[in-house]
Amino acid sequence: MRKWLVLFCLCMLAVACTKKGTKEENVIKIGAAGQLTGPEAVFGADMLNGVKLAVEEWNAKGGVLGKKIELVPGDDQAEPRQAVAVANKFVTEGVAGVVGHFNSSCSIPASDVYHKAGIPQISHASTNPQLTEQGFANVFRVCGRDDQQGKVAAEFALGRLKVKKVAIIHDKTTYGQGFAEEFQKGLGSGAQVVAFEGITKGEKDYSPVVTKIKATNPDAVFFGGIYTEGGLLIKQYKAVGGTAPFIGGDGIMSEELVKIGGPATDGTYATFGPDTKEIASAKNFNEAYRKKYGEPGVYSIYAYDAANILLQSIQKAGSIEGAKVVEAIRAIDYNGALGHIQFNQKGDVKDSPYVVWKVEGGKFKQLK
Amino acid sequence: MFLQHLLNGITIGGGYALIALGYTLVYGVLKLINFAHGEIYMIGAYLGFICVSLLPALPPFFQTHTLVFVCLIFLVAAGLCSIYGFYLEKICYRPLRGAPKLTPLISALGASIFFQNLVMITMGAKDKIFPQLITQQTMTFAGVSFTWLQLTMIGLSLVLMLGLYWFINRTRLGTAIRAVSTDPFMAQLLGVNVDTVISVTFMVGSFLAACAGVMIGLYYGTINFTIGYLGGMKAFTAAVLGGIGSVTGAMAGGLLLGIIEALGAGYFSTEYKDVYAFFILIAVLIFRPAGLLGRRLHERA
Repeated sequence: MRKWLVLFCLCMLAVACTKKGTKEENVIKIGAAGQLTGPEAVFGADMLNGVKLAVEEWNAKGGVLGKKIELVPGDDQAEPRQAVAVANKFVTEGVAGVVGHFNSSCSIPASDVYHKAGIPQISHASTNPQLTEQGFANVFRVCGRDDQQGKVAAEFALGRLKVKKVAIIHDKTTYGQGFAEEFQKGLGSGAQVVAFEGITKGEKDYSPVVTKIKATNPDAVFFGGIYTEGGLLIKQYKAVGGTAPFIGGDGIMSEELVKIGGPATDGTYATFGPDTKEIASAKNFNEAYRKKYGEPGVYSIYAYDAANILLQSIQKAGSIEGAKVVEAIRAIDYNGALGHIQFNQKGDVKDSPYVVWKVEGGKFKQLK
Repeated sequence: MFLQHLLNGITIGGGYALIALGYTLVYGVLKLINFAHGEIYMIGAYLGFICVSLLPALPPFFQTHTLVFVCLIFLVAAGLCSIYGFYLEKICYRPLRGAPKLTPLISALGASIFFQNLVMITMGAKDKIFPQLITQQTMTFAGVSFTWLQLTMIGLSLVLMLGLYWFINRTRLGTAIRAVSTDPFMAQLLGVNVDTVISVTFMVGSFLAACAGVMIGLYYGTINFTIGYLGGMKAFTAAVLGGIGSVTGAMAGGLLLGIIEALGAGYFSTEYKDVYAFFILIAVLIFRPAGLLGRRLHERA
């Protein structure tokens, strides 16, 4: 009996080995990293589905360089430490390129790992300027930067909302604090900053900070952070009797904000890219995505384009060698779902228009 | 402004106090820090969420009588959590009763990880959002803004705390708990069933933690499987601040922690909210090692 068992195990082992061996030769792996679990998992799922869609479309056309694409998801849980672990895992797995990460606080430490391994990284959502200011040739992003975004938000607050006094809250992350500082810079001497407060991510009770903010009587409250905290802040601010509108950025652009914050979120502003439902180039993407995964999240399209840019560049480079792919990305002249994308010397997109959105009746709508 | 901060502090402090009671009760009878207690609070919040999600499937009576339904949620979630507490003790701690002190501690950490992952796998890793059962209309009185839900929360924590105080000091079972926590061996000699008392202690602690969980879920509206960690940590701090092992200490510690955090964050910087709490904790421990209302330490660690 035991002999048979040993034999059986050996057979299984042999099968397992051969399977792995053949598999590795015939596929090209690409990584997709983001917060697949945790409080912000909605953003992670939006990203993963976008990348999945791109990979499926390429595979249906026969793959890249005659090989099928294999998608390797990596869950960084929106934690910098976890992001580095994911990056190292990608490197050992031998991925040809990475789409992600989401949070700037994850993308930046992970980019160091990718840089050392020479693997191209295209972030779909990390807007902190520092990401592409490190001088890493392999790092790109398809979204805008917080210095652009902060300026647009500040101009909107001064021009349209005519604010005189602004309170600023941030979530102490690379993204949140960075964005808040850029916003403050953008205000210049146009408005008085009556409070600049940091909050701890993951908490539920923000009543001390909103009480304090309310007492300063601002015309608007700026929040640099993600929708989880944003929704709670807005709800609790309105509960202590605050009335000023909130202004946020790409981090709060999710219907989840409305679910968490309830009716209090009506009238909240956010800076983001233009509405993709109105871009002609995004029509096919939106239809295909809807068929497979339901209504696309705001970041799905960015992840989809990032994946397409990566795959197209691998095709063009004719190899999965990091340096060649990076060169191809740098030279790309891409027409995708988001429209025309080209990268500048730093790895940022050449023109990234930010517009202002507003929550009306529980939905984000682009302001005209 | 000061009153508003005070009210904010008492609201969250009541929640801390309810969870802290579980730590302190268990420490009293077993001299063990039940590190899985935070997870019981989290499970309570999830059970509450499941009950709330069942509302559309229930008879229309509950949809019109929200108050009855909310009371029911508390009873169901807290009742089920008591069972969790009972089995937690039976499976994770009872077999280790005679073991060295560190062993049950490891077991507690293991149980904590187990519960977190159990909830993550069964309920998903995303945040769960409570539908709004009670409309949160803001009212203002003497410059202080509050909602009915907030008042209900404070009221409920006070009622639960008074109830526990009565239970510990005025009932037979409560007397038995106090006896076991003073001297388990002597209590056993006098005919107290120590095992039953310990089980009851776990159940009572879990009951209170579950109430806190449902309360926090209803009030703040979002929960996820990691809230047990932060909530448990804060409550543990509150229990130590008040004097671990002391029931009134845990209540006072919880409220005090909430108020310190609210005032510290309100008058200084919110960035260092947690720092004030721990600063006070260290200061208290230096001058009163047993906590504010703790008994003198009988045993040497």
